[in-house]
Amino acid sequence: MGTEPDFAEFYHRARDDCLRTVLVSVGSQDRAQDLVDEAFARACASWRTVGRHPAPAAWVVRTALNANISRWRRRHREIPVADPETVADRPAPAGADSSTVDPRIMAALLHLPPRQRQVVALRLFLDLDTGRTAEVLGVAPSTVKAHLARAIASLRDELVPTHQQES
Amino acid sequence: MTDNDLITAVRESFTGVHSATAVDRIESRGRALRVRRRAAGLAGALAVGAAVAAAVTALGPAGHQQPSHPGGIQLAAWTVVRQADGTIDVTLRQLRDPAGLQRTLRADGLPAAVTFSGQLPSSCQRFAADGALIRRVFSGHQAGGYPVMVIHPAALPAGAGVAINPPDQWPITNVAIGLVQASPQCTGS
Repeated sequence: MGTEPDFAEFYHRARDDCLRTVLVSVGSQDRAQDLVDEAFARACASWRTVGRHPAPAAWVVRTALNANISRWRRRHREIPVADPETVADRPAPAGADSSTVDPRIMAALLHLPPRQRQVVALRLFLDLDTGRTAEVLGVAPSTVKAHLARAIASLRDELVPTHQQES
Repeated sequence: MTDNDLITAVRESFTGVHSATAVDRIESRGRALRVRRRAAGLAGALAVGAAVAAAVTALGPAGHQQPSHPGGIQLAAWTVVRQADGTIDVTLRQLRDPAGLQRTLRADGLPAAVTFSGQLPSSCQRFAADGALIRRVFSGHQAGGYPVMVIHPAALPAGAGVAINPPDQWPITNVAIGLVQASPQCTGS
């Protein structure tokens, strides 16, 4: 018999944080909800394995974000371009759906580059340490630290009034 | 305001975001996925059996049909497999070791310039190509949640090489591709 915790208990404990993490990455609460629901369903289907994962919530978030890529790929099929240039999957604008987040804060988050946004979300809502965040994102721990520092500096610039920064 | 104050303010702004989906609905969907996976596993086992039979046939005198790197070069970040029809499959899982990917493609006879910065190397010049030509050289699909580029070297015009320059961000939502003028500085040949 496995020693993994009960799936329902895990779901109730982690669902809000996973939703918030994915919301920061995709920018739309409705889309984040769909992605997170499907990722939790996959976790449930493989709970014997996922339940033993050192950070099952991180597994759910990564699965949700990978599904977001699949969705993007389905919508865009191939992207043969004459010149090498990027075709980014832009997040939906804040306030485009039923998100209850302060629009000023959401806008500041969405102004961050995608990787910085993901680092912030994983650190803030899943409370992952640098090593685990690096593992989830497939980057070096030093990269995570650099992204987090830049992200906080950018958020400070956007959210904290100048006179407060100087005080 | 300290960094911790800022982080707390951002975190607290999300306290009104809650998942509304009942666990019953998730578990029901999970059960359906499990059933589907078992059915797919059975079908896969049958397919593997058929593939093994085909491979035994192929290992006869027609050994030249084997990929140039038997079984593919397996690295954590990416995989390059040359297929029997001459096409080259490049699967990107992580954006690491672009120089290694470039070396591997060049070793397969493909003039290639690879960066993971979203930018062409400064030593490269773009090769004039329309969309139809690009589509003949590149196609793509997805496998296991990762982008797979299929490169058709036979469709490369003389004097051209391939450029693969995804931006350095995760998840990999796009892979910038194109043609460059082949030169020792840019594509190795």
